[in-house]
Amino acid sequence: MSSVGGTPLFLLEFGDIVMYFTPYTTSLFILALVFTCIVILSRPENQLDIIFGSDGYYTKETEVEELRFRRFMSIACGLACLGATVTGDVFDFTLFVSLVGITNVGIVAAVRSRHVQNAAFQYGIVALAGTVPLFGGAAIVAATNGTLSMIELSARTMSGVPLIAKALLTLGVMGEGMAPFYAAKAEMFRAPGAPYVIMCSLSSLLIFLRVVEVIITM
Amino acid sequence: MWEEYSIGLLGVLLCGVIAFVALAIEKDDLHRLLLIDLVEIPSLGIVALLATDLAEALILPGLVVGIAELLALSQIYLVKEGLKEQPEGRLHIEVIEYADAPLILSLFLVVYGIILSGFTGGGVAGLGVVFYFMSRGYKEDLSLLEAAAGISWAIWIVSFFVFMFLPQYWLLAVFGAGGGILLKVIAKMSLVGTMWGRSHE
Repeated sequence: MSSVGGTPLFLLEFGDIVMYFTPYTTSLFILALVFTCIVILSRPENQLDIIFGSDGYYTKETEVEELRFRRFMSIACGLACLGATVTGDVFDFTLFVSLVGITNVGIVAAVRSRHVQNAAFQYGIVALAGTVPLFGGAAIVAATNGTLSMIELSARTMSGVPLIAKALLTLGVMGEGMAPFYAAKAEMFRAPGAPYVIMCSLSSLLIFLRVVEVIITM
Repeated sequence: MWEEYSIGLLGVLLCGVIAFVALAIEKDDLHRLLLIDLVEIPSLGIVALLATDLAEALILPGLVVGIAELLALSQIYLVKEGLKEQPEGRLHIEVIEYADAPLILSLFLVVYGIILSGFTGGGVAGLGVVFYFMSRGYKEDLSLLEAAAGISWAIWIVSFFVFMFLPQYWLLAVFGAGGGILLKVIAKMSLVGTMWGRSHE
């Protein structure tokens, strides 16, 4: 098998589900792993708000409980990213991606601010709607080819995956990895707890990079 | 066969489009939450059109992901709207509260579920436990049930690793997986709706 990501360095087989580590997926995997470790080890920031036009400032109180939940969600998000970057099965990929979507919602939704929760709710609706094209795309791949294994799909000389399946898959990943586009909703990112919010952006970046490889390989 | 698949696909996509249009028109958050559940169903429909045993294996995780997101979203909705009141979920009907019928019915469901075993059995037995909790109320500490769900899930996963790496012990793994998923689904289903706001007490 030779794909756009290079020849696999090694394959990890779980029954018929094969994880494959090409130079491309391995680098994504390492990035996700390093950032998950950073999230586990780092201590969250304390946010300061400066009172405009004066030297005064006040600190925002953040409950330990809230930060603990957000750290848990960030770690779960990192683990989902690890899976999404190396899995060799299209449906597995969609499941990991939707897991990334859920955990991203969880990371922002724990913040006790009405504005942030409003943003999280809207984002959650987009993420949930994103599962429709995501699963739809994977199901059409299975229906037209009889297999979901990316290795088998890439081995075929004639690509049997219809364009609509690829388009739906991409659309679904866009829906799940919506978080960075919500940067316009400043409330979501002004919430305290630095390393955790970054996890949203990083995980979206990783799944976008992976879906490009998946689409070209198929 | 392809023609039937195409017609089915067209129908499901049409349903999806209708649901999405409804979602785009609706402005109320609660109604959106209900509509998003409607949007979920076409995605399961597309998977179900495969009509093989693979479809069955794919619908299950799809359904679970959908329910998980829906539960998370409704929790966010509750928090953001500041809804704290615990709903009075119990039915005050004498026959249900004091007679033996609910006990017998739920016992029957649990026993039948254990005989079925596996995921389906877990669903049936879990339904029995939910029915009992609904009719009698609950005062027990549910943390034990949570622990049981976690441990049985671990048994399930370990059994899958046995399938992959020690295939000669497949019989043990079958029993482990069947029993594990049975216990897990019973425990998880009986927790649905009963854990409301109790974790902070």
